[in-house]
Amino acid sequence: MMLQYFQMLESRIDAKIRKTPDKPNARRKFALEIAKLGIRLYSGEHRVAWCGVVAPFDMLSAMNVTSCFVEFVGAMLAATGNVGMFLEESEHAGFGADTCGYHRAVIGAALKGLMPVPDVMIATTCPCTGGLAAMENLARMFNKELFVLDVPSSDTPESVQYLANQYKDMIRFIGSRTGESLDEGKLRKAIEKSNRARELMVEVYRLAENVPSPSNGRSLANFGIVMALFLGTDAGIQIAQAYRDEFEEMIRNGQSGVPEEKVRLLWLQNRIQFKNPLIKMLEQEYQASIVIDELNDITWEAIDTADPFTGIAKRTITMPLNGEINRRLNHVRHLSKAYKIDGAINPCHWGCRQGTGARGLIQAGLKELGIPVVNLEVDCVDTRNFAEGQLRTRLEAFMEMLQTNPSGLRD
Amino acid sequence: MSQERIRWNGHVCSYTPTALIHAAGFTPHRVLPIGDSPDRAGQLLHDNLCPHVKRLLDRAMDDDLPALDGMVFMNCCDSMRRLSDAWRAARPDHRVALIDLPVSNEESAVSFFAGQLTRLSETLSGWSGQSFNQADVSASVYKFNEMAELLDKVSQRVRGGTLEGGSFRLQDLFNRAAIEPVDLTVKLLKTVEEEPELRVTADSGVPVYLFGNVLPDPEAFALFQSSGVHVAGDSVCTGLRAFCHIGGEDSEGVFVRLARGLLDQPRCARTFEPFRPGKIAEEVLTEARRCHAKGVIAYTLKFCDPYTSRLPAIRKVLREAGLPLLVLEGDCTMRSMGQQRTRIEAFVEMLR
Repeated sequence: MMLQYFQMLESRIDAKIRKTPDKPNARRKFALEIAKLGIRLYSGEHRVAWCGVVAPFDMLSAMNVTSCFVEFVGAMLAATGNVGMFLEESEHAGFGADTCGYHRAVIGAALKGLMPVPDVMIATTCPCTGGLAAMENLARMFNKELFVLDVPSSDTPESVQYLANQYKDMIRFIGSRTGESLDEGKLRKAIEKSNRARELMVEVYRLAENVPSPSNGRSLANFGIVMALFLGTDAGIQIAQAYRDEFEEMIRNGQSGVPEEKVRLLWLQNRIQFKNPLIKMLEQEYQASIVIDELNDITWEAIDTADPFTGIAKRTITMPLNGEINRRLNHVRHLSKAYKIDGAINPCHWGCRQGTGARGLIQAGLKELGIPVVNLEVDCVDTRNFAEGQLRTRLEAFMEMLQTNPSGLRD
Repeated sequence: MSQERIRWNGHVCSYTPTALIHAAGFTPHRVLPIGDSPDRAGQLLHDNLCPHVKRLLDRAMDDDLPALDGMVFMNCCDSMRRLSDAWRAARPDHRVALIDLPVSNEESAVSFFAGQLTRLSETLSGWSGQSFNQADVSASVYKFNEMAELLDKVSQRVRGGTLEGGSFRLQDLFNRAAIEPVDLTVKLLKTVEEEPELRVTADSGVPVYLFGNVLPDPEAFALFQSSGVHVAGDSVCTGLRAFCHIGGEDSEGVFVRLARGLLDQPRCARTFEPFRPGKIAEEVLTEARRCHAKGVIAYTLKFCDPYTSRLPAIRKVLREAGLPLLVLEGDCTMRSMGQQRTRIEAFVEMLR
């Protein structure tokens, strides 16, 4: 089912890109690479690693391992509109409906035999306990050993060294299970590509800060988190370049992502992964643009190719979702100022303890900047609990409030 | 004669290095999710966090605590990490430390955790204004080991049905050991240990193995007893598991010893062996058989990812072994436990 889905997606997007080959087609190129990744994961022709969210995908790519975090599958199943049966499968097997929908969906898919048995499994303790538990459950189902990257919360030399050493152990683990060793030259090239993609992404985000923004509610949805999967590859560079070119062209031509942009919004944490009318409503009825997602940012320095393990460890440890809430809050405040935000939308993904759990603290932290936050009670994956009417009403009230009380960050 | 003021330092997790807190000149005080503080945690945390965390925050916001010099949190799960964040906001008068807790007991993890404990010792020393060395920590480990051994002996007597008061009283002793000065508890436990043995009666209840997370209210154990359950063995965060004996020698350094001892203790579901995923299921079965249980009760708090996510595998293993399992989902109040009485009684009837 998933292989056919990705194959159809690939041919459909490819055909669209061919119709306008002179345009940057940024979003389409991004979606095309996602489809290709899906095909590689499900074709049975590649070495596959199911991973946690913050696994070092560029390092895995350098080892010829097609890797992906399992939450990606949950999001894809939601996007297909068929996620309900997978959620029910996991719930029937005893997995609580109060746990994260991404994880329930992927466990349901595994129970239905729709997850390819991986060559290796690399779990990460960051960003969440639920993700780690899901990986342990999947490893048990697949009868596979699990390699866990224990990501410390504090940014200290000892923590960085601890994680850097774990990457070396991970390489040995993968090598012993797949026969693949890590070629230093390949790793260096992968890191160079990561750094190049990083530079381009910094430019993309800088361009998106423009008032009015070339970005809109759809162009950079899921961008930052999924781009991590393409780090270390040419595809990652090409996608970022396409976005850079597209945004530059739009600004040059005086085009904005949302025509006559009036309200600038920050989207906190994950997007709602299934089709829904909320973004369209914001854009069409209120000229409100989601100009920045919390997860769309570069928070790491370029990695030293002579010492990639240390650089990748620092990249992981310093990500805003890791550790104490102040790190995340400072990041969100920084984004709010840089993008001149009027308000923030927090989809409180049911089942997410680490993200949603802190919503009161995030709300209070943004309030200090004069940024109002609307909390939406949703499950970003589970279509069954989507209360469209209630959410629409909340957003409408929020937009009316923003129109009468702008944040003042644009001044 | 003036009595020296007790300097309390709070903690909330069974992986906390209480001996280290003690060595710094503090009396470790585990904040338990008990009492009747009003529900206010929702101002800072989402309702989908576990009731343990919310009850603790309720107590902090209600100032239902002794005068604490500081709080030590273990970064053991998402909810606990969020609690430490919320605590800082709710109680700016408390000093707060968050300590990373590895998920496994591999050598590299032990070494890293020992470093975390070394760093904590420096923090605690700053808080107390009292310098201490490895010998002091070692002396504290000795004291806490003595308490752990006594609690183990008392537990054995309760499990064997030879101590007055049964598991209700045992839980009360666990709670006192968690919140009172170690010397007082040791003294108390020694007197309990010397109490004459009761004669075991035939009607002491059906032997059941209990596992799960936080169940500190002695009334819950009274409910088990009155429903015909004899808790023959247990592994819960507020029971014997919170008082592990730290083995090993100081020759490898007391912080390494302490780190290894804590990571080697009977595990909470958040800690596991990556190369044997889901091993907790086999461990529950082994422990249930060791105490000759006729059934197993899992007590988990709502929204506790580490436990609820592992229950399906545990259920499967127990079913294959022919051991019945009763899952009780709680919220740290007796209100929810009272509602479970009928289910517990039916479970016992089935096991008889």
